[in-house]
Amino acid sequence: MNAALMILEIAVLVLGIALLLLDLWTPPARKRLLGYGAAVALVVVLAYSFKLTGETGFAFGQAYAFDGLALFFKRFFLLAAILVLVMAAEFSDRIASGISEFYSLILFALAGMMFAASANSFPMLFVSLELITVTFYVLTSFQRNRLASLEAGVKYLILGALSSAFLVYGIALVYGASGTMDFAELAGKSAALKDQPLFLLGLLLVLAGLGFKIAAFPFQIWAPDVYQGSPAPATAFLAVGSKAAGFVLLLRLFNTVGLDVTWHWEKLLMVMAAVTILYGNLCAIPQRNLKRLLGYSSIAHAGYLLLGVAAMSPAGSTAVLYYLAGYLFTVLAAFSVLAIIIRKTDIEDVSGLAGLNQRSPLLAATLTLAMVSLAGVPPLAGFFGKFLLLKSVVEQGGSYYAYYWLAAVALAGVVISFWYYFGVIRAIYWSKDPADLSPIEVSLPARICLYACIAGMLFLGLFPNRLVENARAAVLPPPPAKIAEKTAVAVASPASIK
Amino acid sequence: MQDILFYIFAALTLFFGFLVVVNPFSRNPVTSAMFLVLTIASLAGLFVLLNAFFLAAVQILVYAGAVMVLFLFVIMLMDIKEEERRRFKKFGVAMGLTAVAGLFGIVAKTIAESGVGAGLKPAFEGDTKTLGTALFSSGQFLLPFEIVSILLLVAMVGVILLSKKDLK
Repeated sequence: MNAALMILEIAVLVLGIALLLLDLWTPPARKRLLGYGAAVALVVVLAYSFKLTGETGFAFGQAYAFDGLALFFKRFFLLAAILVLVMAAEFSDRIASGISEFYSLILFALAGMMFAASANSFPMLFVSLELITVTFYVLTSFQRNRLASLEAGVKYLILGALSSAFLVYGIALVYGASGTMDFAELAGKSAALKDQPLFLLGLLLVLAGLGFKIAAFPFQIWAPDVYQGSPAPATAFLAVGSKAAGFVLLLRLFNTVGLDVTWHWEKLLMVMAAVTILYGNLCAIPQRNLKRLLGYSSIAHAGYLLLGVAAMSPAGSTAVLYYLAGYLFTVLAAFSVLAIIIRKTDIEDVSGLAGLNQRSPLLAATLTLAMVSLAGVPPLAGFFGKFLLLKSVVEQGGSYYAYYWLAAVALAGVVISFWYYFGVIRAIYWSKDPADLSPIEVSLPARICLYACIAGMLFLGLFPNRLVENARAAVLPPPPAKIAEKTAVAVASPASIK
Repeated sequence: MQDILFYIFAALTLFFGFLVVVNPFSRNPVTSAMFLVLTIASLAGLFVLLNAFFLAAVQILVYAGAVMVLFLFVIMLMDIKEEERRRFKKFGVAMGLTAVAGLFGIVAKTIAESGVGAGLKPAFEGDTKTLGTALFSSGQFLLPFEIVSILLLVAMVGVILLSKKDLK
């Protein structure tokens, strides 16, 4: 057994339990400081993770995999949790019940995400996803004196339970068809299984279960309500962490186990990606509530990320990883600003941004940069991420012409999205007669986080090479035989379609 | 013999499960809960047929026993009169039926296409000893099993937080 590979997860879990205990001896006035402490501890864990670069291995049979992909996502989740913890500490006086429990729940969700990054068998996949989801049931309904927060919690609970039911049913069918739940063993059998209807249905239901987590069409219906109702730090972690956990499982499952199947599912994934992009962007246009707007925008981004999955090439997977990294800084910047504004004014409407430029130039600049990056304007991270995703899709266009249509739909989605992202920027700088011009102070830790997010957005946009190289090394290369088969299928398919 | 028993228990599970959700005679949640007990009991029968004896016993002890008592407590603490008066929305019913029919169609087609096979041999007899060995030896199930304990901790902390009376 190789349990030492799990050192990062163990550290996070111990930290979470320690926070629960520390809560007992901390006077109420100082409890919010625990969040900063936890963030610093996570920075140490993140720094330690760089010592593990290049290590690979399995633990618990093949159930737990430690490889480049897992390590990339573990660092991703750690970074997200650090920023969310600081955001939560800023937001603490709006969270009525137990702020230190809020911190430790964030850490437990983080542990679940890190386990998901390494999940290499269906029991691990299911348990880590459940750990994430159950924690988020609590986090979304944390402001239980607000009706909206409770509503978000109940909606997430019901739809989350439904998606878990799909997932379990799918896993049961896969097990019934193959007799194993281990990804490595399934990958060996996948050539024989690819025409078995039970196995295909099982994999389809697993896709549905994961689709709920990443909020892709047609499983996106919960996202806007839950995003709007939850406390801002919980929403931010849901938007970044939960979505990324869904994508790492999707990448690992569909690029290793279901390889022979997914080659033939390109149409399904393409339709999902295209409809998700259009749905998210079109529905975001009339929104006035900022969190709801970001909820629809996150649906659209799930669509963009699915482009990379639908491209079914290492370039596509690389683009997904890069895009997620840029998305992390962008979304956390936007939600940090929102959390600070909501804490001060309790207004979630776009009109609440009026005069933000005079009230706090830093917040205004950060939110503007975040919106510009989400929209995908150079030189920010969002632009280069979209460029890589579209490039990976267009590259596949030679083999199957529908990829060109997919790229066109994605471009149309980007153009539509300019409308509402720039509506937010207009509200910041060009609102008429703002009612309240009192300055908003930003505390030092929050300022550090905002600067870190801005630096991340600019750095990834201007110097993408390093991360792209890292991501390329992290994605699992498909075996060469599959690529040859894929090109053979691709050459044959245009003729057969016509 | 086993096949016949399987069909009997499967039919009973479906029948009672149906009555939990749509009971034409009563909309009282207590009746639904009682039918849920019967559903769980017939499910336990299916587990026995799969050689999962421990799971069957746990199903009866924990679900039909302890969990159902909790369910009944919750139902009796809530105001169920309002629930009985509520009408279904036509649009909701139509969409729900469409979704169920679609899912049923896919599953039925899949089963029809794959045919009834011999089925898999159970990996091991599901008594406590073999189950314990499978869960606690350093195989692939140990780590998920341990993560479940964190999950339970999270659920416990969450329930206490959300139900605590005074907000500090």
